[in-house]
Amino acid sequence: MSNDGHTAPDPVATDLVQPSSARDAAATLKRLSTEGLSTVIRGAGSKMDWGRPPAKIDVMLDMRRLNRVLEHQHGDLTATIEAGATLRDVNDVLSRLGQGLPLDPPFADQATIGGILATNDSGPLRHRYGAPRDLVIGVQLATTDGELTKAGGKVVKNVAGYDLSRLMAGSFGSLAAIVSATFKLSPIPEASKTIRLTARDAASLAQIVRAVMSSQLDPMAFEIGTGSPGDAARSSSGAEPHLHALVRFASLPAAVDAQVAAATEALQPLAAGIQVIEGYAERTLWRSHASRLWEQPGAIVRASWLPASLASVLDELPAGAELIGRGAVGAGLVRIGGDESEQARVIGALRISAHFGNVVIRRGSPALKALADVWGPQGDRGRLLASMKRAFDPQGVLNAGRGPL
Amino acid sequence: MDRAFLTALRRIVGDAGVLEDRLDVLTYECDGLAHLRQTPGAVVLPASAADVQAIVKLCARAQVPFVARGHGTGLSGGALPVADGIVIAMSRLNHVLHVDIPNQRVTVEPGVTNLEITRQVAPYGYYYAPDPSSQQVCSIGGNVAENSGGAHCLKYGFTVHHVFGVEAVMPDGEMIHLGGPVADTPGPDLLGLVVGSEGTLAIVTSITVRILRRPEAVQTLLAAFDTIEGGGGAVSDIIGAGIIPAAVEMMDSLAIRAAEAAVHPNFPDADTILIVELDGPQAEVAALFDVVVDICRRRGATTVEVATSDEHRARIWRGRKAAFAAMGRVSPNYYVQDGVVPRTRLPEVLNRIRDLEKRSGLRIGNVFHAGDGNLHPLICYDERIPGQPERAVEAAAEILSYCIDAGGSLTGEHGIGADKAEYMPSMFAAEDLALMQRVRAVFDPRGLCNPGKVFPTPRLCGEVPGPYRRHPAEEAGLADRM
Repeated sequence: MSNDGHTAPDPVATDLVQPSSARDAAATLKRLSTEGLSTVIRGAGSKMDWGRPPAKIDVMLDMRRLNRVLEHQHGDLTATIEAGATLRDVNDVLSRLGQGLPLDPPFADQATIGGILATNDSGPLRHRYGAPRDLVIGVQLATTDGELTKAGGKVVKNVAGYDLSRLMAGSFGSLAAIVSATFKLSPIPEASKTIRLTARDAASLAQIVRAVMSSQLDPMAFEIGTGSPGDAARSSSGAEPHLHALVRFASLPAAVDAQVAAATEALQPLAAGIQVIEGYAERTLWRSHASRLWEQPGAIVRASWLPASLASVLDELPAGAELIGRGAVGAGLVRIGGDESEQARVIGALRISAHFGNVVIRRGSPALKALADVWGPQGDRGRLLASMKRAFDPQGVLNAGRGPL
Repeated sequence: MDRAFLTALRRIVGDAGVLEDRLDVLTYECDGLAHLRQTPGAVVLPASAADVQAIVKLCARAQVPFVARGHGTGLSGGALPVADGIVIAMSRLNHVLHVDIPNQRVTVEPGVTNLEITRQVAPYGYYYAPDPSSQQVCSIGGNVAENSGGAHCLKYGFTVHHVFGVEAVMPDGEMIHLGGPVADTPGPDLLGLVVGSEGTLAIVTSITVRILRRPEAVQTLLAAFDTIEGGGGAVSDIIGAGIIPAAVEMMDSLAIRAAEAAVHPNFPDADTILIVELDGPQAEVAALFDVVVDICRRRGATTVEVATSDEHRARIWRGRKAAFAAMGRVSPNYYVQDGVVPRTRLPEVLNRIRDLEKRSGLRIGNVFHAGDGNLHPLICYDERIPGQPERAVEAAAEILSYCIDAGGSLTGEHGIGADKAEYMPSMFAAEDLALMQRVRAVFDPRGLCNPGKVFPTPRLCGEVPGPYRRHPAEEAGLADRM
């Protein structure tokens, strides 16, 4: 992951421990907890600079040796995967039988399964398939008391016991180490085409969102954004940031064509420009869409909004800020330029805005994090979260104060 | 119950809101699992979230256990009262608070029925996806507690995939908001933990759910097979072909005959029938439907009947949904479980169930969600014949053990409740359960919130797991089972 000169903290004198088995991971965690050693659990390290600046880190618990696909139950559309396997490797294995784990978070090429679940991070595919918390069906955890425990199961339908796999989603390694997890898979669609729409102004982009949401179209992804749709090089020449939407259809070839035709007919009157993109160009478009924000300087925050409030959301977006997100989910990333005090001011403004919610810093310099809290207010959940943390990690050794708990 | 405590309850909800006479509390002695019964100390009927909060605060102060109850259709005894505790009946919290079509979400109080949400949004072309077969009467609060599914969850997921946020009262009486109107609350997914926690972590007082646009096309077929392997193989081939149907249901000959006797859906006389429904964009449904028909024929389907109209489709589903209640036509009593197996193991597990049927001397009908491997074995018995109820219980336990052996689960949608708590150690190790208990204690350190559910405890004397009896709601023809 390349970014703004403040890459992953690589704290000095940190011990790197690489468990070789699930049991080893549990035994190691127990030792670290007993000795009171501040521990950060890591996978590929693609998101190491997320969260609050770490206090002292004694040990990095590196899960990358646990990197196997333990089971791919093709007929059941499930797979059990060790935490340290990268999403890319996993999908290489699963795709041999025409299936995949339909997740595409930022840094999808490097990110590990454990890291993706722990951060509950997602990308454009969330529109159809949901976030990791929607796809996980079971988990094996190593806890700080040295136990190896499981919750959920290996079948897609199961309500026995508490769903601790979902509790891990978004825990950022603050509660326990994810050793392996079982996911619901999806068949890889045969064909795909993307419609790229440009909008005249915020109101017409909002109209496009409304039209897609209220239609019977069934896109695999539906993105909206400011700035150039998928081509950073070209955008630098044009002065005005333009508003755009990407609607991707994936299914049988005939079904894709029928939906592209229906979508074109419905959306053309609302758009300033419309283009159907397929094949190599489509793959390039989506790759650059995923990386564009991260390749430019500035802070990046995650933010959410009600999808029908998009016009107000865009109006409130400060000059120079860029947004990319899921049009119908109402969630995405905002890149904020300027110096840290300007970034902090914008983050503060977004947090009190009536239209934005859950504004969390994803990428920010230590100076910014000194000015603005990474996670934002906890609402009335603070006490529960603190008590959950004590229950899982009584010595408080996990995650070095990086949060969220 | 303590008079001062009851007086304090009356101060919150008024005299009419507290029931304690034996006759008045009768309805609340059990839920849909009617053989587990317990008279509660009192039943309280709050009318608002503030009432619920005040009641729970009072219980926390007085150390009185409480059990929240929706409309009592649960099939695992999740709303079974506690002798020295109260039942908090949520039926008066039945208001639709906000219908937000542009954002495709609806906020309701927990006593609103599942189907009412769809009724509210149907005029706009939307519906609420989870569809437990009790959807006409079951409450959305109960759905949240149980993480309810239904016939269409293969494609659309469970309640947990359709809830954006809840307001809930913690067991100490504090109000808490999990999730919310907008996505991505930072931190661990507490909402996903609370949904499906069977009322043991908190009491939800308002719920915001997602509604979906009605699909452009729906197609349904019914295929008949001479063997379980034929039907089971067709299910595997459909999934293997990369098709995720909206629903895939199977019924065996006993269930078919019972349904036929009850509602005459005109089902073929077969060993196994398969109902497959596809929905989505017209072009996709049309193309995939042909593939499904081919697969059924290749797997030896003796007939393939394609629904030609909405009325035809409704008739097929009527037969499927009536199957449970219809067992009354072929047997005086039955006991049902809802264990899950990986769908590829379905034929093997069903053959084990058929062997068990021969050995036990009890007839066992099978009606199930084949797409996700969720069995519903209906074990027939006659409670007047000595020994039969006990044999039915043993057979049910044995079927659950087949599910666990095959790598499955004790329950796909009915919940563990009081019914299956004792079987939890067959699925989870002691340390797994200990961690779950620790999570429970985070929410409810004093164990007041729906005690005796989910986790195994020594049984009270006279309490035995046992067979099915008709719930008053079913007797009144208000509910079916699935």
